[in-house]
Amino acid sequence: MKSHARLAAAFLKQEERAHWHDQALWYVREKRDRMAASVPDWEALRETAQAIKRHALANLPRYLEEFERNAAARGAIVHYALDAAEHNHIVLELLKGRNARLVAKSKSMLSEECGLNEFLERNGIEVVETDLAERIIQLAGERPSHIVLPSIHIRKEEVGDIFHEHLGTEKGESDPTRLTRAARTHLREKFLAAEAGISGVNFAVAETGAVVICTNEGNADLGNSLPDLYIAVMGVEKVIPKTKDLSVFLRLLSRSATGQPISAYTSHLLGPRPGQEMHIVIVDNGRSEILRREQFHKAAFCIRCGACLNTCPVYRRSCGHSYNFVIPGPIGTILAMHRDLKKYKDMPYASTLCGSCTAVCPVMIDIHRQIVLWRNEVVKAGYLGRAKLAALKTATLGMKRTRLFRMGGWTVRKLLRILPPFVLDNRLTIWGKFRDLPKMPAQSFRAQYRAYSRRKTDPLGLGANREGRP
Amino acid sequence: MTDSRRLVLNRLKEHAIAGDTSYPAYSHPHTGISDPRRSFQSVIESVGGECRFVADLEAARKAVTGFEVFAMAKQVCSYVKEIADGNFDAEAKADAHQCADVDLTIIRGELGVAENGAVWVNADPLRHRALLFLSGHLILVIKGRDIVPDMESAYARIDFTRLRSGYFISGPSKTADIEQCLVIGVHGAKSLLVLIVG
Repeated sequence: MKSHARLAAAFLKQEERAHWHDQALWYVREKRDRMAASVPDWEALRETAQAIKRHALANLPRYLEEFERNAAARGAIVHYALDAAEHNHIVLELLKGRNARLVAKSKSMLSEECGLNEFLERNGIEVVETDLAERIIQLAGERPSHIVLPSIHIRKEEVGDIFHEHLGTEKGESDPTRLTRAARTHLREKFLAAEAGISGVNFAVAETGAVVICTNEGNADLGNSLPDLYIAVMGVEKVIPKTKDLSVFLRLLSRSATGQPISAYTSHLLGPRPGQEMHIVIVDNGRSEILRREQFHKAAFCIRCGACLNTCPVYRRSCGHSYNFVIPGPIGTILAMHRDLKKYKDMPYASTLCGSCTAVCPVMIDIHRQIVLWRNEVVKAGYLGRAKLAALKTATLGMKRTRLFRMGGWTVRKLLRILPPFVLDNRLTIWGKFRDLPKMPAQSFRAQYRAYSRRKTDPLGLGANREGRP
Repeated sequence: MTDSRRLVLNRLKEHAIAGDTSYPAYSHPHTGISDPRRSFQSVIESVGGECRFVADLEAARKAVTGFEVFAMAKQVCSYVKEIADGNFDAEAKADAHQCADVDLTIIRGELGVAENGAVWVNADPLRHRALLFLSGHLILVIKGRDIVPDMESAYARIDFTRLRSGYFISGPSKTADIEQCLVIGVHGAKSLLVLIVG
């Protein structure tokens, strides 16, 4: 398995595409900012959202039972799965029980996590992803590179090629409207022919047993209303206590995700439609372990909006496929580490620790802080590369001893002015590979600070600000 | 399966969530909305829908008759007979699949939400909830007094006790999945007109 750094380097070789990818995501981030600013109570909403999550997750058994009781009273059948394998097995058995050969599926990161599609196809069931982006990815034989915008890395010309090959659109067609129309016709046939529908769940309301699903395309709704069998799959963490809580989460979700005031369709399903069988599969698959880890449990608060991906300077410049875990970016990092510390050891290092992820998170997960803490875990477990470890050990040595630190600083300041650039800018110096050295100051920070403190005046105006004067 | 249920619920009893875990008392009314009707209209238009204010159902009928989509539609399914008679009766169809070619559906919404342009549609009176998403175009009819400022006031008014399915619909079906270009009309309605009566 190649590391994030290697995969990102390969992605960045296509400079024009990398720049386009970065810009496309930044555009979504800016839309999010405008939307957040338009809601006067935004920060208070985030705090309430976190408080509701904290409460709900601390009382999950109670709320799951309440949800289950209410959903069952409406005629839905609730299943529990310990892990991905059991989840896949339950879904397969339900499909087999109704002789379903064709499934119209809506986007679900849980099913990606469980590898549901591959499993069902190995068992002779045709699964058609019905979200446009997911369908593009599926036809291309790829995996999503983003949790909300799965095909954000694919250019329209490439979509044209994929559709030409699989849907018979004209060669060279790259107009988004015409390509979308072609997909509509193609998927409409599948919707009408499907014997079963599967979708993820955005929120499950304990108070009523309602399953709430947000989409823009309307695909989940065709998939859950047309076939006689509908299966909703959800992680245990999706349960919220009350209907009123939806007003908090729905106001945050779409604004954070895509900068929309709300998704085009927000569906509340309480039991099956007449003549339908509705199943809800509630999955743990490691979530209970996340909740048991003191420093890291907040990762389970995530509502999968993707805002932290859109804002992350590393994600935007490296593409979701550079992360080896199914969920990329900052939130993917802190979820992946729970799954397999060794396998995903490079992920916490795919971060500048700038904290932008934490700043945009609608449920206020301290993502960048957790990334630092995971770096600790990687080092403690001995998974850090030798070169990095040696560098860190040297740094620790210097930082622990004041004299040594001062001497080191002095040496570097002097040396860098004399040494020719190639000494650092060569292939052996990993650090210098993608970085330029800053200009060396004449004095150390300590010396500058001492000089500053001795001065009566305040040349930088910092003191004035501190006291709140203009 | 019952074993997994017990195991999952047992595992979740232990957790590391510390500090105050009480359910928060909260209320976050959207204070930035001075004219709910105008806000509603501008949001609906910003998400690709259309919104018209009409004095009464008679004026609504005139507005629909002059509506281009209505003139073009071959199969029209109307649940608001005062506005249009329609020529397709979805209630008479045994199976939702028979509604696949409906061009236009006219139906009442219960609420409009000013902060996000969403219309609450209770689908329970419909024999086929799929109609809302199969229909090529959609006209939603709401009363002027049913526009509320925000989601909190909307949920306070919705009764879930007997509800089987309800939808917030905001704008036509849309996607930006191809290079972030907005395309209206993916799987669901290709256009949405909201008529606000009174």
